[in-house]
Amino acid sequence: MALIAIIDDDPDILDASSLVLKSKGFDVVTATNPVDGYQIVTERNPNLIILDVMMDEPDDGFFLAQKFRKNGITTPILMYTSVSKAIGLEFGKSDMVPVDDFVEKPISPEELVKKVESLLQKK
Amino acid sequence: MSETKGKILVVDDEKGLRIGTQRLLEDENFLVDTAENGEQGIRLGIASDYDIAIIDLKMPDVDGLEVLKQIKSIHPNTICFIATAYASYETAIESTRLGAYGYIPKPFTPDELIYQVEQGFRQRQLVVESELLKKEREENLIEIASEKSRLNTIIKAISDGVLVINRIGELVYFNTAALKYFDLDSLSIGDSALKHLPAPIVEIIKKIYSPDQSLQKTYSIQLELKSNNALFVESTCTPILQNDKSIAGVVVVIKNITEFKKIEQIKSQFVSMVAHELKTPMAAVQGFLNIILDDTISIPYDTQRDYLVRSVIRLKSLTDLVNDLLDISRMELKTKQREITEIKLDEIVHSVSQMLELELKKKGVTLITHFEEPMPTIKADANEINRVFTNLISNAIKYNKDKGKIDINISHSGSYVLIQISDSGIGMKTEEKNRLFQEFYRAKNEKTRGISGTGLGLSIVKKIVESYYGKIEVESEYGSGTTFKIHFPINTN
Repeated sequence: MALIAIIDDDPDILDASSLVLKSKGFDVVTATNPVDGYQIVTERNPNLIILDVMMDEPDDGFFLAQKFRKNGITTPILMYTSVSKAIGLEFGKSDMVPVDDFVEKPISPEELVKKVESLLQKK
Repeated sequence: MSETKGKILVVDDEKGLRIGTQRLLEDENFLVDTAENGEQGIRLGIASDYDIAIIDLKMPDVDGLEVLKQIKSIHPNTICFIATAYASYETAIESTRLGAYGYIPKPFTPDELIYQVEQGFRQRQLVVESELLKKEREENLIEIASEKSRLNTIIKAISDGVLVINRIGELVYFNTAALKYFDLDSLSIGDSALKHLPAPIVEIIKKIYSPDQSLQKTYSIQLELKSNNALFVESTCTPILQNDKSIAGVVVVIKNITEFKKIEQIKSQFVSMVAHELKTPMAAVQGFLNIILDDTISIPYDTQRDYLVRSVIRLKSLTDLVNDLLDISRMELKTKQREITEIKLDEIVHSVSQMLELELKKKGVTLITHFEEPMPTIKADANEINRVFTNLISNAIKYNKDKGKIDINISHSGSYVLIQISDSGIGMKTEEKNRLFQEFYRAKNEKTRGISGTGLGLSIVKKIVESYYGKIEVESEYGSGTTFKIHFPINTN
């Protein structure tokens, strides 16, 4: 079964997302900050990374995604976004934002599972 | 008797003629003065502005032409007649050259004299009237000139830029502020304004000049003249309409709105920060509830309950955040009703530490107080001071080590009370210390994980302290503790 890494500084979001994915049979590893996140990805080599856009700093998620790509990690990335749309900061997939899809918080289990499955199938 | 027509001076050395003339003219309602020689004639003629002077040519002391010259030099508008029995072509020419209006040959009949005088009087009235008109016109011109220079001074002095452009796009007026905004130092009247102004303004001017009358109105646009928000202006272009509704030109007024834009930016940054801070706990709660409600996911009862408990905690933090935000907004709007009373700080510290007793016990933190005697009182709103101590002491507990210590020291320092709150906690890194009082800033590192807060507590403390003209400082070393120092003015009155 596929291994999914979730990197988010909010433990409640981590637990809820983990529970949803585990209930669908996925294996999950988690990290609450960019440093630990980078480490679990390099150590465990997951099939998919779920990454929060905003951790300690407003663009931590972007930087971490760029760091993965720069260091040759091509694992698909699903990015959690929060208020970016509401404040007019709508972003799409680009070189600046090297991620494969977005999920808007709050997380709906159905949407999360659908996006995860579709990204895993593409690979 | 009808009113007097005018004032006449009769200068003649022959008494009979002098008096006869006087009577004759007085009968015609003139006011008449007489002089019996040339010297007296000059004196009277200079002393007041006669309408008419009738001067005998030959007098023993001073020549009539000399009298004429002297009077004319002071009162050029006095109508002068030369009367003489020795009429000659030369004297006639000479007297006219010196400004005489007419020549009365002696002897003369009453009718001849009156006819001449009436003629002269009409002439005098014309001269006086035109003189008045001339004076009036001159005064008007001075007024217009000073009005113009006053307006000029005003327009040159205002900080808004003003440019006036005529129908063919030439600059017809500008002030120095306008040059400054557009970074032009060499612009002169008659230059093509359309070549020098920023494209968006030129666009508007062309629109105003277009034949389509519906476009002939006032337009305002905001322009970033220097990047990175260094200079923002609002430019208003207004058509100048002539009486027939055709356009004579355009007035462009440029206003500096850089500060306004900066405030706007701060506001929108604040709004997006607030939005993020509000949405984060809501997203967590909604995430939990979505899972609990999802029929395809089976969760054990204990996990469900755990999620609900955590949801309540998140909602409580959301309520705290909203309350803090309301406090900040009230403080900024200054609508908060303050109740200023004498406050004993030791009493506040005791009541706050009692309120936080549970938290102190949970972490095993001891609180030690030192109050200098006599304890100074301050004048302030008790709720606000309570808030300052609650926020600082609860931070000192939250960021402390287990079984740590909090020292509260209150003493005099000149006209200030010095409040020091020290903890033996995790301390701060330099960059964390620098951002400490920023709204929503919360130090995040391996040691602060699991500590909750709104990120507004210290910003509220700072606002309260500064609103009483006090000062708050922080000293901290990463790993070994933090001290907050507040200097609070002692209100002596």
